[in-house]
Order: sequence, then structure tokens, then C-alpha cells
Amino acid sequence: MNEQLQPGAVLTSQCGAQYTVEKFLGDGAQGEVYDVTCGGRHYALKWYYPHVAILAQKKALEELLRRGSPDSRFLWPQDLLSGGGDLGYIMPLRPSRYKGINALLKRRVEPSFAALSRAVYNMTQAYEKLHAEGLCYRDISRGNVFFDPDTGDVLICDTDNVSPSGTYDSLINGTPRFMAPEIVRGEARPSRETDLFSLAVLMFYMLMVAHPLEGQLEANIRCLDTPAMNQLFGTAPVFIYDPNNDSNRPVPGYHDNAIVFWNTVYPQQLKDLFTRSFTTGLCAVNQRVTEKEWLRALANLISGIFRCPNCGCELFYDETKEDHVCWNCGLAIRKPPALAIGKDRIVLWRNAKVYAHHVRGDFDITTILGSAVANPHDPQQRGIRNDSADNWVYIRPDGTKTILPPGRSAAIAPGAKIDFGQAVGEFL
Amino acid sequence: MTEIMRPGGALGNRPLHFFWIVDCSGSMIEDRIAAVNHAITTVLPSMREAAEEEADAQVLIHILKFSDSAAWITPAPVPLESFEWTNMDADQGALTSMGKAFELLAGQLTIPPMTERALPPVLVLLSDGQPTDDYKPPLEKLLNLPWGTKAVRVAIAIGKGADVGVLQEFTGNGELVLQANSPEELVKMIRWTSTIIKPVSNPPSRGIDEAAGESNVALNTASIPRSGGTAMDVW
Repeated sequence: MNEQLQPGAVLTSQCGAQYTVEKFLGDGAQGEVYDVTCGGRHYALKWYYPHVAILAQKKALEELLRRGSPDSRFLWPQDLLSGGGDLGYIMPLRPSRYKGINALLKRRVEPSFAALSRAVYNMTQAYEKLHAEGLCYRDISRGNVFFDPDTGDVLICDTDNVSPSGTYDSLINGTPRFMAPEIVRGEARPSRETDLFSLAVLMFYMLMVAHPLEGQLEANIRCLDTPAMNQLFGTAPVFIYDPNNDSNRPVPGYHDNAIVFWNTVYPQQLKDLFTRSFTTGLCAVNQRVTEKEWLRALANLISGIFRCPNCGCELFYDETKEDHVCWNCGLAIRKPPALAIGKDRIVLWRNAKVYAHHVRGDFDITTILGSAVANPHDPQQRGIRNDSADNWVYIRPDGTKTILPPGRSAAIAPGAKIDFGQAVGEFL
Repeated sequence: MTEIMRPGGALGNRPLHFFWIVDCSGSMIEDRIAAVNHAITTVLPSMREAAEEEADAQVLIHILKFSDSAAWITPAPVPLESFEWTNMDADQGALTSMGKAFELLAGQLTIPPMTERALPPVLVLLSDGQPTDDYKPPLEKLLNLPWGTKAVRVAIAIGKGADVGVLQEFTGNGELVLQANSPEELVKMIRWTSTIIKPVSNPPSRGIDEAAGESNVALNTASIPRSGGTAMDVW
């Protein structure tokens, strides 16, 4: 709010680069962010408030610069400005196609389920890479993640609090509504495990447009202030769909999104992970859902999308249901055909794809190995085309086998199988 | 017809009642009340923009003026997105009935008309002088109301003649009595008070030194603009 730097001011970084302040972009708890230029290119500068610009923060930034970004989706510090009690760092500027989570929650951006699921997947994968390096983010919240509503691409900012998991050298404990209960109660400091809790809250917000702990207990509170939040999210948290405790169910009129998304949209596999996150995972820190468990479920969510034959809305395949009911028009739809590869299910919808992850289990959901296609000689007959570079083996229901070379397709038939080499898929 | 992508609506929110309580006594006449009108109209667009970013609050504006007596300029709260500031006038030779303003505020913060379920209200008091009525009993009543206790209370002392002691009694915190010694400073201070919407509706990151629950809203007082201090009292 102070706008500590004026447009036109020139700042010299530690490595001697000169940055010109162009304009104020915004502020937060720790400092202000400016659009700056250097050599004709635009960057973002985070400039700390004087009381935050302390030696510990500078050392943390130096360590982040030395280490480098664990994943390209982080807007990682790339240059440091310090001296005379001032402190700031340079990071890439976020392109305007990336929108904030608040825009999603206010329904000012309206992604498809496919793009939204991918955004959640990409975000989780970025945090997985960060955690795999032994780091923790410490402040996963709505304010730090941006996504492209058309593609699901993700960028994560405010990386300056990242530090090794379990260490006590960060200045940040987290954001109310996102902090793990043990941090809210003052019993723990940020770690990978507390990140996992915050990540689950953020996923719930993105997918359900609601908070997982805000139900009847929230509705009972008159003034939602810090003590009230500490109770809801720290000392007495209850999941809104806790199967063993119905004291905090969503209240119609206040929590309608939670009711509609939970009951009519998402498959059981995803809901089971949220239930674990916010029941046993509230206290049992080591039983929180891991990034890879989320990624497997989210990959399945993405490959389980199909469209209502009546109204065209996107629906999610649910292994546990025989009939699916469209959340929009109410049409009852028989369970669509699917390809089962291990625990993964690919709904054989018009645009279905077999991704590398389905065959190799490597969490690559961009490389396409197979596609659902129509037989050019009989458009009613659907098949899977081998888009990979390897031969597959098509196994008919009677057990006879045919080599399926790259570029060739085999008919979708219940009971038939495809041996991909590293995995076998069966048509359901 | 646009395609329905996903069901449901926007995130459920709570009302955030934001009050401007403006001194329109004789000493505010001409320059000072003009500076208040200018400052609020200057800040409103960015306040609206910031509120648009907040998913957890529906900001409702209330305006209360006091001089010989006190009166609501907004008979009912107005949603910020449709709120328009109407220039206020100070009343020639009028008194500073701050107590009367506290009385009306206390009435408004009682349930009803106050909603049962809300975010902490924000009360911003602007004054350049000293109360001419017995402000203590109504202030005490206001501060003892549940919503009065929970309210974020900020005061802006306009010029050097304001009774900072009284303003501090209102805010309960010396840091939240902001000094504005020029029209430019008044804009800055009003702009800062408009940013309180954010920590009230969606509290920011909590530092390791911030004890949980010490205050009911964590305000970023480090970002309060500095006043010119010894600067000229120019209006």
C-alpha cells in the first residue's frame, strides 16, 4: 500500500543487472510486487517491507537461487536485490492467460472439467517435484496458484518461503483456512506433511468451490474472525462429509456447491481420498494422501471424462456405479465402455486417449500412446489405434492373438485385451 | 445460450459491513470535507477492484455523518459494486456530535438490523476535532456490543486539531489512529483502510511470530502509510 518504489526507479541486482520499475502490481503480507524491465524484457520484482527484509530471508533467497527451480511451473527467484536494509528478488512475470483461484471461485472464469482436472493435476505434480527434493512450500493457498482455464497449465508464485522440509528457518506458517490443524494449534511447524494438508484443501476448493471444513459448524458461527477460524480449522475441525460424524454437514443455502459437487459430480475414488484427507488425515499426519496417490486418482479422473449423450455436459466415470446420472439434465446413462489397465479406467468416449501414464505408470498424461477411433469402413465400429512406436498384441475374447503394429487399430469388444508390453488393458 | 460447464455457483460468502463515519462539523467546512470527498471517490475504484478479487465477502457500504446531530446517508447498506459516493457538505458552525454517531452505530450493529452471520465489520471514523457531546456512554455501549467488540475500528485524524485520545478510545489501538496532514495523505490513509477488506475476508499468510488468535483480525499495520509528522498542516 505504501508503494515503496516509484515508476522509473532503477535498481541494481547482485549480479549487476539493472532493473527499471515500470508499475506497482500488488501487495501482500510480506511486501509488494512490481513489473520491472531489464534489457527490454519484463520481470516481476518482489520488494519486501523493511521489517521482513531481514538477513534470514536474504539467506533463504540465496539458497533458492543456488538450488534452482525444481519444476518450470514455479516462478522461482532468479536474481537478488539487496543492500542498505532493502531486499527484493526477480522472478518471471506471469502471463495474463493465467487466472487466479479466486476468479475460479467467483465463477468469473469457467473452465471445463477436463481443463480444471488437468490444472489440479499439474499443480499437484509441481508440488510433488518440490517435495521430492526434500523441500516444503509452507504456504499453499488460493493466492499462490494460477491456471490457464483453457489448457489447465499452472504457475505457482511466492516461492520465497520454500525451504527444506522440517527446518525452522522460514518466516511463514501458512494461510488461515489452509494451514494444517496442528500448525493452527501451534503444535507443529510447516513440513511436507502440512503441505499435503494445505494441498488437499486447495484441491477441494478448486474442484468443489467450497471448503472441506465449512458446514453446519461454520453456519453456527456469527462472526467469522480469527478465533472462529482457529476453532473451525484448528482445535475442532470436522470434515463436512465425515462418514462417522454428521455434525458439520453442508447447509443448504450456505454450502450449496459442496452438496451438488459431492453428491452429483465426482466419482467415489476421488471422494475417498478427500474423506481420508479430512478425517484420519486431520490428526494422523503420516496417513495424509500423498502426491502420487492424488496424481493416480486425478489421472483416472481425467481419463474418466465423457459427455452426456443428451445435453453434452462432461460427466465423470465412476467405477462403483452401474448407472450414471447427468448432473445437468438428469438423464440416466448406462455405464459406458471402458478400458481397464490395472486400477486405471479409460472411458472409451469419442476422444479417449491412452496416455503414457496408463501403460508405464510414470505420471505422463501428455504423451499419447493410443486413441479411440472409428473404423473407416464401418463408422459404428469403434477401436483403439496404436499411436506408440511399439507393437501391441490384441487378444480377442476367445484368446486368439494378433500383433497390432503402430498406426493400426483394434476393435473395442468386451472381454478383449491389449497387451501394451508393460501393461495389459482389458475392455469392460 | 452459453454452455453450462459445471454446476453450482460462486463460493458462499458472508456480508462484510464497511462503515465510513464522517465528521461534518463546522471545522470541516470547505477544504477538509472537499478533501474527504476527493479521497473517497479516488479510492473507490481500486476498492471495488480489490473487493472483486475477494471470494469470501460481499462488501456492504454504510455512510454515517455527524455534526449538530448524526444521520445515516445510506438508509440501508449498499453493495460496494453498485455504491456511488455522494459529495458531503460540512455544516457551517455545527458541533461535533460524535456521541450521537456512536449511538446510531450501536443501533446498526445490534441484531437486527445487523445480520446474524457476517465477517467482522469495519468501522472507519474520520474526524478533525473534539466531540462536543458526551460521547463516553454511547462509545461504551458500542464497544460492549458483540459486533462492536468484533469490529475492526480505525480512525483517521484529519489535521492536527483532532482529539487523538478520543479516536484511540474508539480504535482501542494507537496504531490504528492514522494521521492525515494533507489531502494527499488523506487519500493514502483512506486507501489503506479500504484494503482492510482483504485480511477480514481472506486472512493472509501468518508469520511464525504471530500468535494464533491474538487479535480477531490480523491487520498488516506495517503497510500503513507514514504521515508527514512534522509536515505543515496544509489544507
